[in-house]
Amino acid sequence: MKHASELISAYLDGELGGSELRSLLQHLGECGRCSDELIEIQRVRAAVRSLPVMEVPDGLVPLADVIPLHRNRGFWASAAAAVVIVVIAIAALVTPPATTISADDLNSRFAARVSLDPAFGPAKVILPDTNEIPE
Amino acid sequence: MTEFAPLTWEEVARVYGRKIYNFAYRLTGNPNDAADLVQEVLLRVRKGLEQYQPGSFEGWLWRITRNAFLDGVRKENRRPTTPLPEEIDRWSLAQSPGADVEFARVNLGDDIQKALLELPVEFREAVVMCDVVGLSYDEIAAAVAVPVGTVRSRIHRGRRLLRESLS
Repeated sequence: MKHASELISAYLDGELGGSELRSLLQHLGECGRCSDELIEIQRVRAAVRSLPVMEVPDGLVPLADVIPLHRNRGFWASAAAAVVIVVIAIAALVTPPATTISADDLNSRFAARVSLDPAFGPAKVILPDTNEIPE
Repeated sequence: MTEFAPLTWEEVARVYGRKIYNFAYRLTGNPNDAADLVQEVLLRVRKGLEQYQPGSFEGWLWRITRNAFLDGVRKENRRPTTPLPEEIDRWSLAQSPGADVEFARVNLGDDIQKALLELPVEFREAVVMCDVVGLSYDEIAAAVAVPVGTVRSRIHRGRRLLRESLS
């Protein structure tokens, strides 16, 4: 058998069979040049296959919106928007005129509210660990 | 193996989006061209699904993807361009003028990607279909519309050129 260069990639990819496979394996046992090429091509193949998988940019491929949550989502969204507009309009009509409130007045109201409901107090804020590197 | 039977282009996008994007990214070498190519492919899938006949869906999809890439290459070649002075030397480094040079211009971040972009288009697409997408030689032959022997030859010659570039 002559040098088997083009069979080497097919062999590495599992695309060789039958007599071609037998011939190549026999040839590799006798030919240092083709054995070296096998090793080098295997390295190249592994290098290309080691390239990282690139993540698809957000919004390029529809993922979340392929299955609508509600068949009549458009109708209900419009209805909800209409209700919000009506509520705002009514609130604007019935809201009493603004009154002046002093800082002391605000503080006393806040203290009273907290005494009735401790959960009303300032929320505990948890700051993220700045040393943590996001993925 | 059960043949994937697409219902909508959104389903195709969901199932194959990442593969198409990676194919496009490795062929073009930059995220912007890759995103453009993915959009073009999904547009063609959307139109093509109306006439799609049940058969080898993957062969059909990768044929569309590959043709969209080549059309993009041809369009780039038709567009009159005046390279900036600092780009001329880099362009002249490519092994052969033409389509493969056109896309080999930005984001040559790593050696393997750079070496891929220097390959002639026929070798590059065969190597990427095999080693990035994971298609068999039969599937590549169907997508590119060449005999399996040609696929075998292109993949091996592509890898040999990569070996020379990387050594």
